[in-house]
Amino acid sequence: MCGIAGIMYKDSRSTGLAPIGEELIKMLETMVHRGHDSAGVTVAGESLDSDLLIRIWADESAPAEETIARAKETVISEGGAIVSADARDSYLRLTANYEGDVPRLAEALLQTPGVVLHSIGEASEVIKDVGTPAVMDERHGISRLSGTHGVGHVRMATESKVDISHAHPFWAYPFTDVTVVHNGQLTNYHGMKRDFESRGHVFQTENDSELIAVYLADKLAGGAELDSALEASLDDLDGTFTYLVSTRDGMGYAKDRWSAKPLVLMETGSVVALASEEIALRSVFTEELDRTEPQEHEVMTWSA
Amino acid sequence: MTTRELNRRIKASIEEGADEIVIKNPSARHNIAVGVRRPCKITIEGSVGYYAASQLDGPEISIEGNAGWALGENLMSGKITLSKSAGASVAASMRGGEIFIGGNAGARAGISMKGGTLLIAGDSGFLTGFMMQKGRIIVCGDIGDAAGDSMYEGTIYVGGMVDSLGTDAKYEESTEDELIELWAELERNGVAGRPRFRKIVSQKKLYHYDTLERLERTLI
Repeated sequence: MCGIAGIMYKDSRSTGLAPIGEELIKMLETMVHRGHDSAGVTVAGESLDSDLLIRIWADESAPAEETIARAKETVISEGGAIVSADARDSYLRLTANYEGDVPRLAEALLQTPGVVLHSIGEASEVIKDVGTPAVMDERHGISRLSGTHGVGHVRMATESKVDISHAHPFWAYPFTDVTVVHNGQLTNYHGMKRDFESRGHVFQTENDSELIAVYLADKLAGGAELDSALEASLDDLDGTFTYLVSTRDGMGYAKDRWSAKPLVLMETGSVVALASEEIALRSVFTEELDRTEPQEHEVMTWSA
Repeated sequence: MTTRELNRRIKASIEEGADEIVIKNPSARHNIAVGVRRPCKITIEGSVGYYAASQLDGPEISIEGNAGWALGENLMSGKITLSKSAGASVAASMRGGEIFIGGNAGARAGISMKGGTLLIAGDSGFLTGFMMQKGRIIVCGDIGDAAGDSMYEGTIYVGGMVDSLGTDAKYEESTEDELIELWAELERNGVAGRPRFRKIVSQKKLYHYDTLERLERTLI
């Protein structure tokens, strides 16, 4: 199964940031029956006092404090200036000023023993963990994060292993701020993955959904608009999928030709919310609302 | 109250002879009012989630809102009225009774339907009537791609446009008698207009399996 959710307050950049973290957790918690394995969110459009927001998880190969210290050293040796560092268990949230090439910094961090990169963003971050959204919120304080928009996921693993890095959202390494949550299975991703690898791209996991993020980020980097990148994915990706993408200032969905995976959409002049099930929309919007169900072979985008 | 407690209370109230049950604030929860097998009247004031009013035999259920996937799955008899739109697979494997959708229906409406009537006032999605075996689907608006794909028997009536027919489906003209009956049905459900319904039925080319199994060949 898997459950996905997305929310965007369209004017929040000018009218004040919205409680994206809290609302995503509420939505995901009502859909926890769709997947208990892991959960994750992207909170985007945050207000930062630095150039970059880096999310790192220290794997079990070394004590977490050592890995976290090494990660900080790497950022500094690459010419970054650390503005803040918040370490919780084996997670590190780092904000830094950095004027260099982001892919170079990403590569240097990946070469740092024990470091698993969950995201690098100019205005967004990925937080993911095993277990349920409520537990994840307790551990990571997601409810305190405000932004303009975000996406989230509860996972029932069908396709690759259950661990922190195989939780969604998937960040499109090394493209800043592009993340994806996906409900479904891709059937042609090995071939597409090989194409990217032959061009030098390094995938971070064995998961099919990571490919969607990289595919979209690659198209966006090539100058495509978000909606045309999503549109192209409808025919390039094979299998079942309803996925949501979050970018620096945009959000969108794509739904496969079989209409195999659910999605409901609620939109007003100021807010748009998407979820696998209406019950998730109602956890945030309590009044009787009008929702639509996107149909097969469809995409839609919004910007904040 | 958990959904299980709610469903137990519905059944207990019916046993105690309640004439009409009203459920408030359903909050799009799943599995509301399932498995009721006696005639009774239930009103749900708000939207429901997946499998609402499924596995029913006899009740009259009115839902004021939207429904998620598989509303009225396997209905045996009775009537379900939904004021707004239904998700995918409404009336899946329905065997009798009536389901009325005031808005639109999602993909695979009436999938594997085995009897009864599914009436949709608005549009209906991809693969409507997929592998339908009996009964009627009446769509006042448009139907998406692959309408009536692999249907065996039964009839889909469509008032609007059809994006494409599914495998082994074909159009037929409705007779005047059929139209009069359909229009009366619309009127009973408060649907305005008198569309010139076209019929979609099976070509029955997939229906007969000419290739015999090896064992069967030895028997001839």
